[in-house]
Amino acid sequence: MKKIIISMAAIAAMLFASTAFATVKVGVLSDLTGPTSSVGVPYAQGIKDCVAYVNANGGIDGDKIELIQVDYAYNVQQALSAYKRFKSAGIVALQGWGTGDTEALVRFVKRDKIPVFSASYSAHLMDPSKAPYNFTVAPDYSTQGRAGLKYIKDTWKEARAPRIAFVYPDKPYGHTPLPAMKEYAVELGFEVTGDETLDLKAMDATPQILGLKKQKADFVWVGGTTPSTAVLMKDAKKLGFAGKFLVNIWGNDENLAKMAGPACEGNLGIQAASVYGQDVPGMKMIEDETKGKPQMTHYMRGFVSGMVMVEGMKKAKANGNLTGEGIKDALETMRNYDPMGLAPAISYYPEDHRPSMAVNVCTVKDGKLEYLETVSLPRDNKWLGK
Amino acid sequence: MLKCGLFFTSYNKEDQLFPSMFQKTCLGMFLVAMLIAPQVLDFYYISVMNLIMIAVIGAVSLNLLTGVCGQMSLGHGAFVGVGAYGCAVLAAKGLPFVVCLLGGGALAAMAGMFFGIPSLRLKGIYLAISTLAAQMILEYVFLHWSAFTGGANGMPVDPPSIMGFSFDSDERMFYLIFAVTIVCVLGVSNIIRSRSGRAFVAIRDFYQSAENVGVNLFQFKLQAFATSSFMAGIAGGLWAYYTMYITPEQFSISLSISYLAMIIVGGMGSVTGAIFGAVFITLLPEVLNTATSLVGSFAPDISALMAPLKEGIFGLTLVLFLIFEPEGLVRKWKMIKAYWKMYPFAY
Repeated sequence: MKKIIISMAAIAAMLFASTAFATVKVGVLSDLTGPTSSVGVPYAQGIKDCVAYVNANGGIDGDKIELIQVDYAYNVQQALSAYKRFKSAGIVALQGWGTGDTEALVRFVKRDKIPVFSASYSAHLMDPSKAPYNFTVAPDYSTQGRAGLKYIKDTWKEARAPRIAFVYPDKPYGHTPLPAMKEYAVELGFEVTGDETLDLKAMDATPQILGLKKQKADFVWVGGTTPSTAVLMKDAKKLGFAGKFLVNIWGNDENLAKMAGPACEGNLGIQAASVYGQDVPGMKMIEDETKGKPQMTHYMRGFVSGMVMVEGMKKAKANGNLTGEGIKDALETMRNYDPMGLAPAISYYPEDHRPSMAVNVCTVKDGKLEYLETVSLPRDNKWLGK
Repeated sequence: MLKCGLFFTSYNKEDQLFPSMFQKTCLGMFLVAMLIAPQVLDFYYISVMNLIMIAVIGAVSLNLLTGVCGQMSLGHGAFVGVGAYGCAVLAAKGLPFVVCLLGGGALAAMAGMFFGIPSLRLKGIYLAISTLAAQMILEYVFLHWSAFTGGANGMPVDPPSIMGFSFDSDERMFYLIFAVTIVCVLGVSNIIRSRSGRAFVAIRDFYQSAENVGVNLFQFKLQAFATSSFMAGIAGGLWAYYTMYITPEQFSISLSISYLAMIIVGGMGSVTGAIFGAVFITLLPEVLNTATSLVGSFAPDISALMAPLKEGIFGLTLVLFLIFEPEGLVRKWKMIKAYWKMYPFAY
C-alpha cells in the first residue's frame, strides 16, 4: 500500500512538474516496427536528438519542446488515429514519415493548420496550392532524380549519348519520379533505353540484369530501398553488367555496403543530408550528441528536419504567434537557412515549398558511404509539383 | 430482469432480430449513448470510433461472404478500394453524397461478381488464391490506371455534404458513418434470415445438399459476392470521404488480411462476432500504443525495447485466440450473457 501511495505521489509530481514549464508539443509519427523501420528508427532518433539538443540549449526562446512519439508501423489507419491523438494533445507541428500516411494526412493538416515535416518527398507535396501545410527538408523525388541525371551528364566524357535505364518497384513510390526524370533525361540528351521492375522484397534480380545488359545501359536509375538495391548490385556483379547505378535517397545508405559488399563500390547515390563524419560545421554538434557513435545519413536528415522546424518555431515565437499557422507563415519567410552544413541551404516560399534544388551525390568507397559533390538545379517553376 | 427463456408461438416470432424487450431496451440505450458520444468524448476517441465503424461495415460484409456463405476471400481489401475509388471519381464529378456512395458500392459489387465467377469451380484454399489474384489485379489497376485513379499520386476527396450541410469534422462524420453502419448491419442481419441467407448457409454447410434441395449454386454464390462487395464498397466510400485522400497503398493485401482476422477473432458466421472482431482488431494497436507510451513516460529504456514487441503481441493475441477461443469473441459474449441470465442461481 505504501509503495502504491509513493508511486502515485511520484506520478502526480511528474505530472505537476511537466506542467510547470511552458512547453510546445510536437507529434512524431514514426515507423519503429513496420516495413520501413530500418530507416525509420534512425530518422526518428535524429529528430529526438535534435529536440533534446535544442531543449538543452535554451529551447524555443525558453519554451521547451515536448515530443509525443507514436509508432504507426507504416499503417495508414494507425497513422490517422495517431494524428488524432496528437491533435487532441494540442500539437503545433508534426514530424511525419512515409508516403501513404503523409498523403492521407494532407487534407487533415490543412484543415487543422498543423505544419508537417515528412520524409515522403512526393512532388505534389511541394506545391502549396495542393498541400499548404506540408514541408520537407529534402527536395522532391523528381528534383532528386533530375539532379542525379545532371551529375551523370556533367561527368560523361564520351561523344555518344549516355544510355540510361530505369529500375523501380511497381509501387506508387517507384513510379512517382519517373515521368519527370524521363522527360529531363531526354532534354539532357540521354538515350532512355527502357524500364525493369524490381520488387522491394526481391531475392533475385537476374532477369532485370539480363534485361539491362540487353539494353546496353550505361547508367541505371534504381528507385527502390536498400535491400532490393543490394540484390540488384550483387547480381550485376555476378553477371558482369558494366553499367553504373544511380540510386535514390532510400536505396543507398550505410547498410548498402553491408548487404552488397564490394558489388556496390563506385556506384552513385543521391542523398539530401551529409554523411557521418563529413567535414561540415554541424558535425561537431552531432558527434557530441551521439558520443562519437556513427549514425546513418537518415539520422542526419531527421536531425535537419528537427532543426528546420525549430527555426520556424523560433521565428514564429518572435512574431508572437507560436501556432501551427504562425509556424507555417514563419517557415515561408525562411531564406537560405543553413542547417550548419548538414544539408543544403533551405528556403520556403508561400507559393513554392521546395526546400532547395540541391542534392548531395554520394558513392561507396572501401565499404563506406562517401560524399562526392552537391549538385544544384535552377528553381524552375515549370517543375513545381511535377 | 432477464427472463430465463423466451416462449414463441410462431416461427416468425422466433425469427425476430430482437426477440426480447430487454434486448430492445439495451440496444436503445446503446443508440442513445452513441448519439451523445461525440458531444462528450474527445475527438481522438471519436476518430477511433469512426475507424471502428468503417471496419465494422467491412467485417460484417466479409462475414456474409466467408462466414455465412463459406466463400473464402483474400480480396476484400481491394473491393473496399474499388468502392473508395468509384466513390472518389463520382464525387470529383460533383455528384451528391448518396449517389457517390451507392455508385462506389455498385462498382465494387460488379468487381466482386466478376472476381467471384471462379467460385463456381473453386473451393477453399483454391478460391482463396484466386481472390488473392483479384487483390493483386485490382491493386495493379489502382496504380496504373492513372486517368481514373490518379495513379501513384492518389486522389483527393472532398468531405461529403448533404443538402448544403458539410460533414467536415470528426463529430459530423461520426453521425454519418454511424447511420450508414446501422443500415449495413441491419441489412446483413436481415439478409441472413431471408431465403438468400438460408441458401448461403446451405452452400457453406454442404454445397451438394444445397444443390439437391434446389439452391442454384452459381446464382447464390455470385449474389453473396455481389452483396458482400457492395457493402465493402460502401465501407471504402466512407473511408475515402473520411480520410479525404486515397492512394493505392491503403487497399493492400494487409487490409484484406486484417478483415479476415476480424471475422476470425470475432467468430465466423455471426454478425455480432464480426462487430466484436472489428472493434477488437482496430482497438488492439491503439491500446498497445497507449500502453507503450505510458510505459515510455516512466521508463524510456523499457519502452524502446517494448516497441518491437508490439507487433509480436498483436500476432500472439491472434494465435491465442485461435487456440483458446476458436469460435471467437462472440462465444465469450454468449457465455457472459448466459452467466448473468441465471445470476446468482446458475445451474
